[in-house]
Formats: sequence, C-alpha cells, structure tokens
Amino acid sequence: MSPLVLLHIICALLSYAAFLAAFVSGILFLIQERQLKRKHMGVLFHRLPSLEHLDRVNFVSISAGFGLLSCGAILGFVGAGVLLGRWWTGDPKEILTVALWGAYCVLWLVRLRATLRGRRVAILSILGFTLVLFTFLGASWLLPSLHPYL
Amino acid sequence: MHIVVVGLNHKSAPIELRERLAFNRDQLPEALNRLREELGLMEAAILSTCNRVEIYAGVSEVDGAVARVTHFLSERAAVDSPLLTPRLYSFIEPHSVQHLFSVASGLDSMVLGEGEILCQVKHAYEWARDHGATGKALNGLFQRALNTAKAVRTHTAIGRGATSIGTVSVELAEKIFGRLPKSVILLVGAGKIGELTLRRLIERGASDIRIVNRSAERAGHLAADYRARALAWSELPSQLLAADIAITSTSAPSWLLSREDVAAAMPQRHQRPLCLVDLGVPRNIEPSVGALENVYLFNIDDLQGLVEHAHRERQQAVQASQRIIDQKVGHFLTWWQEEVAGGVPCVPSCSGPAAAP
Repeated sequence: MSPLVLLHIICALLSYAAFLAAFVSGILFLIQERQLKRKHMGVLFHRLPSLEHLDRVNFVSISAGFGLLSCGAILGFVGAGVLLGRWWTGDPKEILTVALWGAYCVLWLVRLRATLRGRRVAILSILGFTLVLFTFLGASWLLPSLHPYL
Repeated sequence: MHIVVVGLNHKSAPIELRERLAFNRDQLPEALNRLREELGLMEAAILSTCNRVEIYAGVSEVDGAVARVTHFLSERAAVDSPLLTPRLYSFIEPHSVQHLFSVASGLDSMVLGEGEILCQVKHAYEWARDHGATGKALNGLFQRALNTAKAVRTHTAIGRGATSIGTVSVELAEKIFGRLPKSVILLVGAGKIGELTLRRLIERGASDIRIVNRSAERAGHLAADYRARALAWSELPSQLLAADIAITSTSAPSWLLSREDVAAAMPQRHQRPLCLVDLGVPRNIEPSVGALENVYLFNIDDLQGLVEHAHRERQQAVQASQRIIDQKVGHFLTWWQEEVAGGVPCVPSCSGPAAAP
C-alpha cells in the first residue's frame, strides 16, 4: 500500500475518532445541562464534569476532527491523482466526505466565532456524527465504492 | 489494654460548656502530657472541634481512668464533676471504636455527613502522634478510623450534595464553570445571604469580585472586606456583560434584570454561560430569564429545594454507612485482639458503654 494511501486512511480514521469524542461530550453536555436547567442534582450530576469542561472537549474534538478530515481528504485526492491519474473519481465516499467536511467546517466556524455555543453546538455535533457513521459505514455497505474497506 | 473515649458533643452539651472545654492547638502538648503523666493514661489523643471535645485513651484499667479523665475535664471547664458528668459520655471498645469511626465518617456531626470532621480527626491524631502521645493502639485506631471514613464517603451518598444556600450555589457554579478562580463574580445588593454566598465562592478560589449596590458606602465596606471592586449602580448593565456568576440579593420591588436585559446581553457576551443566583425576596430576576440559552438561573426556592434534597439523600445513606462502619469495626477488633489486647477476646462484660451519655 502506498504510504500516501496509508496516511490518508490513518487521518480519516483519527478524524472519525475525534468526531466520536465530540459526539460523546455533546451527549454528556446535554445530560448535564438538562440537570442544571431542571435543578436536579442526581447521581449523574455529581459524576459528570462541568459544562465548561465538556464544551471545551467538544470544541477541541471538533477542531481536531476537522483538521484531520481535511488532511485525510487532501491526501485522498492527491493519492487518487497519483495512482489513478485523476483526483476526483466521483466515488460515493468522496461525495459524502465533501459533504461531511462542509458540515463540520460550518460547525467549527460557528463555534469558533461563538455564534452558537453550548446546547446547540452539542446537538449539532451529535447530528454531525450520524453523517460520520453514514460516511464511514453506510457508504461502504450500501453503495458500490472504491473504498470497500471500512 | 482498653480503648476508652470520654467527651461531650453538640447533642449532649450546650455551646457554653463546649467552649469552656475546647482545646486550642497551643494547649494540646501540655494537656497530652498531663493526661499521660498525671492521669496515667498509656496513650492519649484529644479531638476538639466546635461541636465536640473528646479524649481518646489507651488504658490498662477502665474504671479509674474514666473517673480521672472526667475530673480532668471538670477541672478544665471549672465545673463541678456532678454537674459535668450528665453531659459527658464515655465508651469502651467496641463502642469507643464504633464511636470514633462514626464521628470520622460524619455520622455524628451536626450537619450529617459534613467532611470537615475527617480533617479534624486527622489533625487530632497527627498532633497526638507527633507529640509522642499515641502508641500501637491509638495509631491503629485512628488510621483505621480515617480509612473507614474515606470508604464511607466514597461508597455512600453521606457526603454528597451541598447543605447550605452558599455551598449549593458554589456547587452549581462549579458544575457550570469548573474551577472558579478564573470566573468573574458580580454581587448585586449587599444582603447578608448574598455576602455568605460570596464568601463560599471566595473559599473556592474566586478572586475577581465586583460589587454593585445602591448605597455606595455599604458596597465600599463589603469590597474592602473581600478585596473586591465596588462599582456604581449605573454600571450594572455593563458588568452583566463581564460577569460569569451574578448573585442578586436586593429588596427591590420590581425586576432588577428582565428577560429583555439578559437576552440583549447574551449575544454581546458571545453566548458565554451566565449563572444567575437570585437570593432576593421578592425575586430580583424575571423567572423566564432561566429559559434563555446558556443562562442558568436559580432562585432561593431552587437552592432551598436542593439543600433539602441533599439532606434527604444523606439521611438515606446512613444505613449503608453504618454497615461499612460495622464491618470495619469488626476488622479492627480482630486486629486488636490479635495484636494489642494479647489474644484475650473481648468479653461481653467489657463491651457495653462505660456510662450512658
């Protein structure tokens, strides 16, 4: 396997892992936020970290995931150009990845500029992860692809 | 050898008596010396807090020792023994062991499950040990008491939740912002309960404090007390943009902060979370402010409800705590009989309280 392709796969997988972290911290944020809004201090309230902490983990994960996904996609296009002679193959995974990149780009900018914060960013990072799952699993299983592996 | 405890607490004696008996740290060396040299106790430790004064001792004979310690205490309090005795309790193992384990775990405290007592027991032990007043028996007893208390606090809800308006506010603020040293605190109004809450926040590291009050003089006094900045009343809207935690405790008849005020401030704050603690009666902040995104509003009833919830949770944890303590007392007694008491099993006659509290 070409090192370019290997690096492309590693970056893509790491970006999915980062989006998973954003997804988990987003869910925990929503749980903790709900307890605070409802003024309920259950067992989870004491166990979960602060909103600020969860928000920071969420933002760092989105940033890292977005950066890694960008690298992965660029390496993928370069790799396709070198190996197949054309950078855009029209593969479903390519299309989905561009959509995913666009979605996380918007989410990242919105959070960076603090247009949205807290609950809404948490919800968006949860929704974003469903797109990750579809790109990661769905595209390989449901659609014929140049990316038959996961 | 036996382990006895003689003492009094908030349930058995009023504050007037407890304060006459209390030992401060400087008095401990001399008192520990007297207990061992004049009263003939083999080992001794003194636990003196605002709610209790207790003397733990390793003794060869129970009867004479308890009487001597009682006399020592009555002399110290300048109260006749017959007047003091009804206020005192004394226990011998296993009840003395059970007692210390319960005390260290906060089960015997005025505020059930409070954690400060654990430090106080630790200090009482360390001071006695450093002074050479403890031996194998009390070293074993106190170390196991501290371990037991930690186990109880870890495995039960006995110390969970906050038990006052001030501490519950701190807990909520910490669940929003994490650590408080970086948070900006705004106190609006100079009510007593607001000041108490401010004090709790400062204890947790809050240092950027701003005080806004209609009477600049009162704000100035408070600011001096807490190294805060006193600001003019007109600065309230601009301070709302800077604050992370705002506490209001004024007697204003109308809303101090309306939904429009806060809704307008949030975009300017870049949606940074805002914790509002409304201690005013009538309320100072329009209740619908709490529905705004990234705004967390707590009024006095919310806080009181959380305090009561914590009390109930702690009450429910008593049984589970007691089970852990019983188990640990059992372990201690096994060790005690093997190592210290010379393999003599603790017969029923020596297991009752030496005197009823």
